[in-house]
Amino acid sequence: MSVIDAPRLVEPEAKVRKGTFHRFIRQRQAKIGIALTAAVVLLALLGPLLLPWATGYTSTEFAGRPFKPEGLLGTDNLGRDVLTRFLDGGLRLLLFAGLATLLGMVIGGLCGMVAAYRGGWVDSAIMRTNDILLALPQLVFALLAITVLGPQPWVLVAVIGITHAPRIARVTRAATLAVVTEDFIRASEMYAVPKWKIVVQDVLPNITGPLMVELGLRMTYSIGALASLSFLGLGMQPPTADWGLMINENRIALAVQPWGVILPVLAIAVLTVGTNLITDSLARASASLNVGESK
Amino acid sequence: MGLSGGGAADSLDAHSPVSTTDIARVLNLYEGLLYRDENYKLQPLLATRATPSPDAKVWTVDLRTDVKFHDGRRMTGRDVAATFKRITDPKSPKTGASSLAILDKVVVLDDFKVEFRLNTPTATFDDSLGQYSLGIVPEDYDPARPIGTGPFKYSSFSPGRSSLFVRNHKYWRNNEPYLDELEILNFNDNDALINALLSTQVDAIGQIPLALLEVIDADPRISILNSETGMWMPFSMRVDRPPFNDNRVRQAFRLVVDREQMIEQVLSGNGRVGNDLYSPFDPGFASHLPQRVQNIQKAKELLAQAGYPNGLSVELVTAPIQAGAVEAAQVFAEQAAAAGIKVKLRKVDTTTFFGDGYLTWDFAQSFWYSRNFLPQVNNSSLTTSPFNETHWNHPEFARLVAKANVTVDAKERNKLISQAQEIEYNEGGYIIWGHPNQADAYQQYVAGLVPSRTGLALSGFEFRRVWLGETK
Amino acid sequence: MTQLILRRLATSVLILLAVSLLVFIATLLLPGDPAQAILGQQATPERLAALREQMHLNDPVWQRYLSWLGGLAVGNFGMSAASGGAVTALLGERIGASLVLLLAAAVISIPLGLLLGSYSALRKGRAGDHITTGASLVLAALPEFVIGISLITVFSTTIFPILPSVTMAPPGEAVWNYPSQLVLPTFTLVLMVTPYIARMMRATMLEVLDSGYVEMARLKGVPEGQVILRHALPHALSPVAQVIAIQLAWMAGGVVVVEFLFRYPGIGQALVDAVANRDVQVVQTLSILIAAVYIVVNLLADVVGILTNPKLRTGGAR
Repeated sequence: MSVIDAPRLVEPEAKVRKGTFHRFIRQRQAKIGIALTAAVVLLALLGPLLLPWATGYTSTEFAGRPFKPEGLLGTDNLGRDVLTRFLDGGLRLLLFAGLATLLGMVIGGLCGMVAAYRGGWVDSAIMRTNDILLALPQLVFALLAITVLGPQPWVLVAVIGITHAPRIARVTRAATLAVVTEDFIRASEMYAVPKWKIVVQDVLPNITGPLMVELGLRMTYSIGALASLSFLGLGMQPPTADWGLMINENRIALAVQPWGVILPVLAIAVLTVGTNLITDSLARASASLNVGESK
Repeated sequence: MGLSGGGAADSLDAHSPVSTTDIARVLNLYEGLLYRDENYKLQPLLATRATPSPDAKVWTVDLRTDVKFHDGRRMTGRDVAATFKRITDPKSPKTGASSLAILDKVVVLDDFKVEFRLNTPTATFDDSLGQYSLGIVPEDYDPARPIGTGPFKYSSFSPGRSSLFVRNHKYWRNNEPYLDELEILNFNDNDALINALLSTQVDAIGQIPLALLEVIDADPRISILNSETGMWMPFSMRVDRPPFNDNRVRQAFRLVVDREQMIEQVLSGNGRVGNDLYSPFDPGFASHLPQRVQNIQKAKELLAQAGYPNGLSVELVTAPIQAGAVEAAQVFAEQAAAAGIKVKLRKVDTTTFFGDGYLTWDFAQSFWYSRNFLPQVNNSSLTTSPFNETHWNHPEFARLVAKANVTVDAKERNKLISQAQEIEYNEGGYIIWGHPNQADAYQQYVAGLVPSRTGLALSGFEFRRVWLGETK
Repeated sequence: MTQLILRRLATSVLILLAVSLLVFIATLLLPGDPAQAILGQQATPERLAALREQMHLNDPVWQRYLSWLGGLAVGNFGMSAASGGAVTALLGERIGASLVLLLAAAVISIPLGLLLGSYSALRKGRAGDHITTGASLVLAALPEFVIGISLITVFSTTIFPILPSVTMAPPGEAVWNYPSQLVLPTFTLVLMVTPYIARMMRATMLEVLDSGYVEMARLKGVPEGQVILRHALPHALSPVAQVIAIQLAWMAGGVVVVEFLFRYPGIGQALVDAVANRDVQVVQTLSILIAAVYIVVNLLADVVGILTNPKLRTGGAR
């Protein structure tokens, strides 16, 4: 097991983080990733504001017969303007993916830290629960939940967040374990600092590296999972404008009127590639700090 | 022949067809006494004629004398009696049993003449006999050995996948069928269905998505069979529950629909506008009633009178019960918004839709095949109907229907039907915005298919008429 | 070491049991009655009662769980609500079809990943390495359906319309009789999995190439080709084996989207259909089956890890 060569001094966080950030931003890959992600995020954020100013339609209005080349990029399965639907379809995906990731980070991060910090039976209980949850592939777990609870937005967010949690917990636990044995934590304990304070003040800042990497990774997966569920027709429900759902609805006419499929596919591709490039750069930046590639 | 639908529950039972492929198989293995032809006219099939007694309580049916079962035995009145006994067996009623509740018993007069004794006078009993699920089978029928009188004989069958039938050489119609072999394939997906046709793996496919009709038609090798039908995909409002217990609200909802646009968006223009009335092919159809068109102003006024001056909010339960159903719900929601009606869509799966909640939804959708007025009413619009989706309970309407049921004189009966329809036009709980077309596609070399109003695909599955021209 | 493997095996069995309990409880939460769902419109009180009896719905919950579990063990998966038939009949051929797809993808992607990874490592820092690493980074980010639809767009609709975009063996015939239809789904899975294998291979290969014994071999004058084949490669393989196993396990889940996209008649598509129809029995069975594959492959990965990793042989960490 590779023990992480963590900072030794009591007060090195600020410097470390700055260093990491520099290493991160210096990479060309990171810049590309940020640019790609920002482009799609801006599109998703500003898209709804652009209609109907830019396209002349609202996203539920009918522009013509289904799958016809009317308008800039043609019409969709109900004769709605594809460009309008596209501009309106990204925000929810981003928002829900963000919420799901956040939920996963909070649950997983807490469980991981508590498991590592408390050790003993708490640790075992949390990690065994993890093992069980990990035995079901993420998508299968999500499908099971949707069968039972129906495809409501909160179910989607919750189920994706929950499936992330054990994976995040595992990483957090490993990172925390390496930190809690450090002298400065022991020192704080001896001064009877409350445990939650130790966690917040001493542990958390020292595991931000792996947590950030995990955040990026889970965000990428959240976007993919949400879009996949909508693509399967089991995520967002009509008449919501949503990129994944758009692909599902317009797939049948891919040969005739491809824009309804290609636009959202491209957007999702650019977005996930962007977040993945960022994540990879983050991992490199913090890996050169920690010895070896942590797994 | 490729057909979509069907699953592992498929069967060859003459009297329990469920899926589209079941119906296709049943119609080619078996034949009923009467049938609906491509113009939705009732025609004799195994019978030569069916005549009611003056009080419409007894129907005498003469049978063809030249019909043989697949195993060579001659079909007689005893087989007919046994068939109906099997269908109405109280221990295991078959699909057609619900419309045969009026049947007391079948009496065999001689080899080729039977009498249907009814417990209730029914002037349109012949219509019931024309259902596809009433194929005549031999007395010793066993679905495991599917024997009928149809143009094709059973060869092999694998549920949810395919079935192979061969030509019935002893078929009673001269020369028919022309095909030596008939293979019916199940597809559970439109992509696969269309691809199978385009790659000439199959000769014809039933039920193509209307949105893709023009594209498929553009292929020079393919012909399209675009048939007008009496099918309808209504919205159903429960007339006994608020807000729809107020007729003004119902009428307002009917007025917010832009029917032309509905047909454009949902059916890509392949359908006929509906007038909130079903059974457009019924001889008694109330065609004198003016076509209802969108009138947002009027709808708003009606809503205001009903106590909703600022519009109202309703939940519409939708499910992919039929191609275009969920789409229609979305279009309706958009159109209704103009009158201040906020429609919240609740999309459920088909199983849930037809599950415990079915017949309790306040505002939902439905789908029905072509039927004449009286049989349709029996199914959906009486307090005794098994599927009274709108909870329609109108004494005057029921009285007119009851009277029409016993009126043997066609002209008189049609007048009653027309009157009953007018009541539904003014107060009913269905929003019937249109009648979708049925579109099929086939290779150019396939000949003999004609458009059919029955709503069943590919000329009502009458494959006996089909032959193949020169290949390639 | 044997003890370690045995313990790992026991844990796997326990986890599988826990998962089955989870799945069973989840389906208990479903509103409505499975008997009602199966009968649908044809439900009469007598038939309902009879079917409930037949499905043991009146038994206590724990008894139903045990008999369901027992059924799973002997391959009796209960009755499908949507079709009214036995789940076993519904899934039999689909399992085979899915295995064919997975196998084909594995057979292509494993050597491909190893090759690309080693190539990349040997060219570290050069153009070839950058391209491979970059491509794998991009591919690893994309959801399955994005890759699949891109392939369909390129190879079956717009640019080179040469490959079928749906699988469509005539009913009754096996999918592998139509190899051209297998190309795109297999290729999609390969593109999903290869990047991970290649990246891991590259990393371990780099480590090995830096190690003492490779240096030694080089110093002894062994030709470079032999150094790599004889000395570097075998040492790099064992950590990669675990990643491969994890990827195979991943495919058991990822195949769902791919099958749906290509209309491939496997268990993944069956699962999506079952969820759409709320066909509980089928969802239950498939979840357990996929979980079982997942667990078994992970177990194998761990066993491989234990067997090949000298540090773990002592049973020290984790």
